Amino acid sequence: MTYAVTEACINCKFTDCVEVCPVDCFYEGENMLVIHPDECIDCGVCEPECPEEAIIADTEPGAEKWVALNQKYSEIWPNITERKDPPADAQDWSGKRDKMDYISPAPASA
Amino acid sequence: MNIMDVKQLSANDFGSDQEVRWCPGCGDYAILKVVKTVLADIGRSPDEVVFVAGIGCAARFPYYLSTYGFHTIHGRAAAVATGVKLANPDLDVWVVGGDGDFMSIGGNHTLHALRRNVDLNLLLFNNAIYGLTKGQYSPTSPVGTRSPSTPGGSVEQPVNAASFALGAGAKFVARGADTLQTHLPGVLKRAHDYRGASFVEILQNCIVYHDGAFGAINDRSESQNVTVRLEHGQPMLFGKENDKALVFNEQKGTFEVAELSQLDSETNVAVHDETNIDRAFALAQMEQPGHPVPLGVLYAEPCPDFVEARGFTGTRSAWDRDALKALL
Repeated sequence: MTYAVTEACINCKFTDCVEVCPVDCFYEGENMLVIHPDECIDCGVCEPECPEEAIIADTEPGAEKWVALNQKYSEIWPNITERKDPPADAQDWSGKRDKMDYISPAPASA
Repeated sequence: MNIMDVKQLSANDFGSDQEVRWCPGCGDYAILKVVKTVLADIGRSPDEVVFVAGIGCAARFPYYLSTYGFHTIHGRAAAVATGVKLANPDLDVWVVGGDGDFMSIGGNHTLHALRRNVDLNLLLFNNAIYGLTKGQYSPTSPVGTRSPSTPGGSVEQPVNAASFALGAGAKFVARGADTLQTHLPGVLKRAHDYRGASFVEILQNCIVYHDGAFGAINDRSESQNVTVRLEHGQPMLFGKENDKALVFNEQKGTFEVAELSQLDSETNVAVHDETNIDRAFALAQMEQPGHPVPLGVLYAEPCPDFVEARGFTGTRSAWDRDALKALL
């Protein structure tokens, strides 16, 4: 059981979720966050924090592909444990759908 | 052959189909995850494992496991678990409760389960508050806790759970913290391996009614500065850089904190001896601020468990139903 970040996070990356995670299981890419499925304790505290409603439980329909994506990138992106400012154009991307074309596989810059 | 005998069990095999109903962010989720992982590592089939719980948030634990479980009455889990274990000593029996359940309502049962040394694994989820009933102060709440039942702040000294367990005669006393996901599994495995009553205090954050009660202890990034991780036979060093040490003051019988660089010799650093009851009491007394909080096995002294001490063979045949019928 785990929660997973979906494409709604891409280019928004508000990081409210990071602030509340009790086990610090978020990992940061250049323009998206992911949850490490093996570290997530399934407590659900992050899910309502996300203003983009980008976080879903793995019990939701269609969650498999997001869990797989979260697994993949959590193993190569750096751990993020503190909230930070969102990208300058985050609001422009807010609420947009089908953002997978814009995902950057690059890790967040230090 | 049971299919479980040949299959490598995973943590998911120990989860149930029940929706978990703790508050989002509750430390109990973290403990549940560790317990499932440890059960998979232990490798016993779910039908050979029993979780017995009392009442409270923590006591919902058995619902979320595929093992046998028993949600009993407030404070009485240790008594019920004692019966389960004596009826079938082949079972792995775990007892789960909160600080109210173990230290207040069930304080007497906890005491007697420990001194009897029945082969149970007792997990105290200590969040230092009554969470299920919405935030009254509990027996482990620190002095000054403001709550609906102590609007002016509590005045009673909190129960020190580890000292209580040692005083009750427990031969295995350990401590862990909910979110320390790489440390807690080792503690639980040691508790399981110990034959007799194993008492594990798990510092657990209640995000709603007592958030941050344990400060940095269960904060992964800061924990090493405020806790000392005990390893039998190893020097007691702590701090992110392992630059602080505990030194035992023989005259006072207490541990003192020293900067490693200020010591004349590293041989002055105390070495953890988990079989030393006096040192265990001294460790149990160490609290923040002033001392790092000891995590790991404080005390483990091999000792015949209840079944062995009573001269029973510890197998089901000794408790044969036919023999019981003949007796009656």
